[in-house]
Amino acid sequence: MTQLLPAAPVFILVLHLLVAAEYGVLFFAGRSPLGRMGTPLLWSTVALHGLYLVLLTLQWHQFPAATVAQAFSVLAFAVALIYALLERWEGERTSGFWMLVQAATFQSLAVILHTPIPPHREVFENPYFGFHALFALLGYASFAVAAGYGFLYLRLYRELKKARFQLFYGKLPPLEVLERMLVGGLTVGLVFLSGGLIIGTIWLIQREPGATLLDPTILVTLFTWALYGGSLLLRRLGRWQGRQTALASLTGLALILGSLVLSRLLLTSFHGGL
Amino acid sequence: MSPAPVATTHPRNTTHPEVGPPLLALGVDFRTAPIELRERVALDPREAEALQLRLMASSEIAEAFVLSTCNRTELYLRPEDGDAAFKLALDRALGERAPEIVEGGRYFVLHDREAARRLLAVAAGLESMVLGEPEILGQVKQAADLAADLGSTGPILQRLLRTAMKAGRRARSETEIGAGAISLGYAVVELARRIFDRIDHQRALLVGAGDMATLAATALFEREILSLAFANRGNQRAERFQEEFPQSERLAMEERYQYLAVADLLVVATRADEPIFTLPPFREVVQRRRSRPLLVVDLGLPRNVEAEIGSLPNVFLHDIDSLRGLIDRNLDRRRAEVPAVESIVGTELRHFLDWYERREAEPLVAQLQRQAEGIRRREVELAKESIPAEYHEELDRLTRSLVRRVLHHPSRQLRHGVGEGSRAHLELIRRLFQLDEEREP
Repeated sequence: MTQLLPAAPVFILVLHLLVAAEYGVLFFAGRSPLGRMGTPLLWSTVALHGLYLVLLTLQWHQFPAATVAQAFSVLAFAVALIYALLERWEGERTSGFWMLVQAATFQSLAVILHTPIPPHREVFENPYFGFHALFALLGYASFAVAAGYGFLYLRLYRELKKARFQLFYGKLPPLEVLERMLVGGLTVGLVFLSGGLIIGTIWLIQREPGATLLDPTILVTLFTWALYGGSLLLRRLGRWQGRQTALASLTGLALILGSLVLSRLLLTSFHGGL
Repeated sequence: MSPAPVATTHPRNTTHPEVGPPLLALGVDFRTAPIELRERVALDPREAEALQLRLMASSEIAEAFVLSTCNRTELYLRPEDGDAAFKLALDRALGERAPEIVEGGRYFVLHDREAARRLLAVAAGLESMVLGEPEILGQVKQAADLAADLGSTGPILQRLLRTAMKAGRRARSETEIGAGAISLGYAVVELARRIFDRIDHQRALLVGAGDMATLAATALFEREILSLAFANRGNQRAERFQEEFPQSERLAMEERYQYLAVADLLVVATRADEPIFTLPPFREVVQRRRSRPLLVVDLGLPRNVEAEIGSLPNVFLHDIDSLRGLIDRNLDRRRAEVPAVESIVGTELRHFLDWYERREAEPLVAQLQRQAEGIRRREVELAKESIPAEYHEELDRLTRSLVRRVLHHPSRQLRHGVGEGSRAHLELIRRLFQLDEEREP
């Protein structure tokens, strides 16, 4: 089984591309080429991708987030999983393309950046690392899905506001449904990110009792957490509705991506060096 | 612009078509005759019933079906004699009521498979004035039920009607020929459905009680809006409106801003010269609504809602022009679906013609099998005289199986080998096996 693992990222990419194409045709042409098989194909892709990640963990005795490629692969899996759960919860699949194309993009990056042997360091074998990375990536994936819905919400909002009935009008569910899916993604993301932050903090205190939390990635993550948490709170209090929440979801994702890129390229602190 | 006449001067003889049953379709629709003529030949159910009975009383017509709606009066016939049936139907259905239609050739005539195709296209909404409108399917079904009750439709037209209704259902479920609103009332509902998940959870405020308001209220009540309150300055119209929609709640005009705080949808349709809703008080209400989306549809001309209101956050303001744009877009989408619907019509028409050909072949297959069985029996009886009795049962089984196997493929081909020229094939088989003589060779 493990002999097949090197070819697995490409196979999984093909599956993600197929799923994205299926949902793309559904969105743009209004017809599902696979009919009722579209959703089972999505779930099969999620299941096979999950199995691949489990096998990687067993093979290398560490959670598969030790390289950028592995982290992208986990992100692709998590985006597809979160979307599949939202689709099941809301019973709405016409918007799926915009989420699943993200999953396919992340998996493409995983294939492009793929290294056959991941680095072996003590830190990666620590179970805290596995749980911290898993929770954080699931959180980021949920925010990516939420941002996808935020984008769709804003497009449809604009078309309805300007009475320009173009690409998104008629192809998307109502604003209220998009808003529910957006808020669903944000809530799930906030829960996972909170878990990731708590586990990461405990781990850091255990590893380096006097360590500072003033790492730029941690600061941006905390800011993002506050932004998402705040927008959900404001929505709960009735102060914010879909448009403001959608803008917050896109801003938050931009901050996350920016901080990840910067920490990779510029920083030598522990998040940048991982 | 009056539509161009499309009638042929004389029907061709349709008694022995190459493929498909002999059929005749004739009538008027919005393409062939203007409304002044169409309304003279329009039939209510009682008149349609009488016409079908009159047609069936003649020996020239074997089956008859009449479809009469606001846009068409059409007859579908299975003639015994094509020429005579055409003249009779033309006279009874059109000539007696509006001779100008006949004299001016303002009717259409179609034969055989084209007649069958026409009924399928009508049911699929392709021949409707408003492309893809949904009512026609129900009207075809109603007329088919009436004809079946009268006994004016037989196996051919009944099968054709079932096929037409199937084509109509498929067109609506498999394509977007019926998608999107194409009237002002339903455009309001469509816009609401792009914002709110459940119309039946929304509250509407309607200002005005005239025709436009009635259209909007009808569409909203059809979609089971949770509640509808209305305000109108004039008493008489308001009373009439409330009579028509007793479930609506009447408000005083002064209460309109107050009610807006709880409404999700505002439709304004008055003839007022001044705006009914202005920005300052509207802005105050929007602030109280805490960012809940509000759909505002202004059907008034001149406009009843100040245009600046549309710039308020979470307020979606649409006027007549934007609704017209939406309707045009929906019509374009429907037009784009025409090839897909035509393909469905073509497929269902083939199924109908296949069925007819199989039906034609069935008596021939039965004759062939009877003939073979007769030969088998006679030969077995002869053979039994020279074969010991203990083998008789086996001999019987063997010969039965042999005949069944030999005839299996030809029978199957006769039943399913349909298409151009299949009638000639049937004739050839009949001659080869001397089946017409009903005698065993």
